Amino acid sequence: MKKRTDIPFSSDSSKFFIPWLSMFMVFIATLILAIAIVVYSSVQSWTSNISGTLTVQIPTYTDKGESREEQINKDIEMTLTLLRSSDGITGATLLSDSQMATLMEPWLGQSDTINELPLPKIIDVNADPNNFPNIRRLKADLFDQVPEAILDSHRAALSDLVAFFENMVHLIAFILLLILITTALSVIYVTKSSMSVHQKVIELIHMMGASDFYITIQFAMRSFKLTLIGSLIGFLLAIPIMVLFDYFLRQMSSSFVLESTLNPAQWLILISIPFLTAVLSFLTAYRTVSKTLKQTL
Amino acid sequence: MVTNKLSTPIAEFNGVSFKYPTGPEVLKDIQLSLQPGSFYFMTGESGAGKTSLLSLLYLNNMPTKGRIRLFGYALDTLTREAKAQIRRQIGVVFQDYRLLDHLNAFDNVALPLRISGTREQDIKKHVRELLAWVGLEKQLDKYPHELSGGEKQRVAIARAVINRPRLLLADEPTGNVDDAMAKRLIYLFLELNKLGTTTVIATHNHNLIKHFGFPRLHLSHGHIEAVEKNNSTNKG
Repeated sequence: MKKRTDIPFSSDSSKFFIPWLSMFMVFIATLILAIAIVVYSSVQSWTSNISGTLTVQIPTYTDKGESREEQINKDIEMTLTLLRSSDGITGATLLSDSQMATLMEPWLGQSDTINELPLPKIIDVNADPNNFPNIRRLKADLFDQVPEAILDSHRAALSDLVAFFENMVHLIAFILLLILITTALSVIYVTKSSMSVHQKVIELIHMMGASDFYITIQFAMRSFKLTLIGSLIGFLLAIPIMVLFDYFLRQMSSSFVLESTLNPAQWLILISIPFLTAVLSFLTAYRTVSKTLKQTL
Repeated sequence: MVTNKLSTPIAEFNGVSFKYPTGPEVLKDIQLSLQPGSFYFMTGESGAGKTSLLSLLYLNNMPTKGRIRLFGYALDTLTREAKAQIRRQIGVVFQDYRLLDHLNAFDNVALPLRISGTREQDIKKHVRELLAWVGLEKQLDKYPHELSGGEKQRVAIARAVINRPRLLLADEPTGNVDDAMAKRLIYLFLELNKLGTTTVIATHNHNLIKHFGFPRLHLSHGHIEAVEKNNSTNKG
């Protein structure tokens, strides 16, 4: 049985405009939010993986190819002492030859040739992520005591990339905000035009004693339903695109830096978009009608 | 919130004037008091202010000067919700019926009950009874465009009285029906009046006025000029 409404909504254009608008907005919002989630997760993953690690290299040969065998042990000792006494450093360990061999295995294979190569000595340094050492000062101190030592901060190396992706997430958040504002403004416009179309009916039921709530809730529910229908369609249309995107990320996973798979919580965030959009539409229509009615007697 | 004291006038106008935003004053310094259970015909030339006076009574407009009290409450002091409650106690029959085209006769008549939150099973019972009373028991499912002028008028009247209003206002309710049907409709209003509904009917139909002989509020140039056969109203 067809549901009766006091206000003849079927005769106005909102039944087309709101579903199309919300479908388009939710389609875009879902895709860019999925991208934002992937980027954000990847950035989080990198920063947590590298946040506490530094390395110091001590060359075993000079620039001219002369062995530093006599100096090397002294340099290592001085470097370890300096690192262990520095603020924010929780540990410093010299990598053994076998550990070095393991690290180089992907490139050199299992062979003893590693011992013949002029590889630097590597000190693995653990830093406190919450009290990260001042890299510039540490480098200066190291240079004073062991001029040949080279300090590598993974965080510093990746900081530009992280900053880039963080800015990207901010940009996406801004675009999402624009989508929300555009949706809300469109709902306001459509609701006002719908009120204008049905002005005589509204006046009549108002005159019969209908409270503001009685009238307002009809507009708000109408807006909610139309937005939900359009939003769900928009969300469903976005799924194949996300699956395709995920497929391409997996194909590139060995060389690409982004993490492709969304976890259940992240899917939940995406699934909530159509419902949140419908709630936004409900609240916007409710407020618009309520505010307009208050201007009448 | 609504008082049931019989002594309280249903409506009181104290020095009420009214003008539309662009136009001259259509009602001037009206003094009026409608007693509970009274029945009035409102007469006057076209443009005398009958529709404007009725619109003040059903709270569609507010006076530009003076004060109106309905059911004992000064309208200018009421909240929006309180005004809505007052409106639910007023039935109005419009000259142009103002039926909702997308609703059938049943739903048009049921509208005031739905607004006041009546249970659906009670609505069914009351609406069917009332539509049968006005001779439209076979037109329940008909939409306004499928009804004749007289049938629309009866639907409009049924809608106005379905809530058993305390005040019934009708603007030319017999304008599109023959004399026999006009009398039948007035008898219907009388039935309600006997139950305590104060009734004001704006009409040009002198036969009806003569036939029923109820007191008359006569408007001319924005003033109530004459009140006949009843002392409950004051000359304005």
